[in-house]
Amino acid sequence: MEQPVQTETWKARSLEELVRILHQIFAEDKVSVDEVQALMESYESNPEEWLQYAKFDQYRYTRNLVDNGNGKFNLMILCWGEGHGSSIHDHTDSHCFMKILQGNLKETLFEWPEKKGNGEMTKKSERVLRENQCAYINDSIGLHRVENISHTEPAVSLHLYSPPFDTCNTFDQRTGHKHKVTMTFYSQFGERTVC
Amino acid sequence: LPAGLSQWFPALEVLDVSGTGLTEMGMELLSLPCLHTLLAKNNRLGGPGSLPKGLEQAPLARSLRVLNLSGNRFSEVPPALLQLRGLRSLSLGGNRLHGIPPDIQELYSLEFLYLGGNFITAIPPELAKLPSLRYLVLCDNKIQSIPPQLAQLHSLRSLSLHNNLLTYLPREILNLVHLEELSLRGNPLVVRFVRDLTYNPPSLQELAGRTVKTRNVPYAPSDLPDSLVRYLSLASNCPNPKCGGVYFDSCVRQIKFVDFCGKYRLPLMHYLCSPECSSPFSSASQSSTSQSESDSEDEASVAAHRMQKVLLG
Repeated sequence: MEQPVQTETWKARSLEELVRILHQIFAEDKVSVDEVQALMESYESNPEEWLQYAKFDQYRYTRNLVDNGNGKFNLMILCWGEGHGSSIHDHTDSHCFMKILQGNLKETLFEWPEKKGNGEMTKKSERVLRENQCAYINDSIGLHRVENISHTEPAVSLHLYSPPFDTCNTFDQRTGHKHKVTMTFYSQFGERTVC
Repeated sequence: LPAGLSQWFPALEVLDVSGTGLTEMGMELLSLPCLHTLLAKNNRLGGPGSLPKGLEQAPLARSLRVLNLSGNRFSEVPPALLQLRGLRSLSLGGNRLHGIPPDIQELYSLEFLYLGGNFITAIPPELAKLPSLRYLVLCDNKIQSIPPQLAQLHSLRSLSLHNNLLTYLPREILNLVHLEELSLRGNPLVVRFVRDLTYNPPSLQELAGRTVKTRNVPYAPSDLPDSLVRYLSLASNCPNPKCGGVYFDSCVRQIKFVDFCGKYRLPLMHYLCSPECSSPFSSASQSSTSQSESDSEDEASVAAHRMQKVLLG
């Protein structure tokens, strides 16, 4: 992605409009990270519009596909029960935008481990993202762990990945060892995916 | 709770009084015959009267399936709660609990137990007596060790232990064959075996006892004082399956690192009859001990392989 000559300032007034504008933006050859992040942040979360995608699982967080962006991006909603968190992971050379729709999520950034990873991974920073905030990450920035640290409130987040990917690496915080995993969808377009 | 609740809504099945500042829930609950879900999170419950007296006889004791008391001020699990024999799901996350009562085993229908975000320091072995428990959350507490009995939770599918004070896990954790999620991050798990320098060698009595047992020296009650006959009956077999030895009081704790299919190396605590039983540092008969060590490691790796779907994070 590179800066185009003119950056639009979008305001998405509904989830449907957000998807429509994303299709428009990604139809171009060049897409601006700042533009997409501002667009995602401009959408004010309205549960009525996304409740149909927000399917929770009691054991772990779920990934629910909303739109597959004509192959250019994947837009999905993640549902995090109390205490649910992800492992430390990379983003397979793709761009990742993460917007909070409900509740709060803690994001902890990590440095890439050394080639012969054999020590505790280095934490770069951590922050708690609030409702409607949108974070961005890619492999050149680092790795992260995302978790719902609340013991009382579930959390819901909206993720955009471009280009789409279905495998990534997870990392052991104590040793830096990585392991490739395949990600699956708990539901697609509002329908539960049967494994 | 408003008086007359059960008269206005006798068929009430779900009651959500979360975030209302409640300090107690009274008699009104006792006359709701159909209530199966009670959500009372983020209130000021925790003192006496949080749950009504006489719960044992109320229909609620059999009808209630889901109880959420997260985000309150409970410093102990109220005894009245343990009367809710039909309970399937209990959340006490984000309270001020310092422990778990052994009587938790009374909630024999429990499938989901959330105790994250408290000040719990230890887990009673009685927790393992819950036959239907599938999801157990103990993250963000102060737990220093896991009792090996926890491996008896045959139905356990998900175990959350992150952000505690664990330095190792019991070897028996490999028996949880249905486990699919296990979180251990944020624990000071040892990464290297540190030889126990304070090993107390066995007493002469113990050494004599071991010899009698392992060499099957015959004896009759008339040969020995009663106290020694009793002592000999207390011999324990060395847990190392390759070793035929026994021990009485003196056993060695050793941490072995088990490889979870090349993904993670977890420190698991083993108990052995002596340092020579299986030690990488033994100078005597080096080849035989290293063989027994790699054999028992293989056994552990096979068990670990069964748990390959486990998500460690």
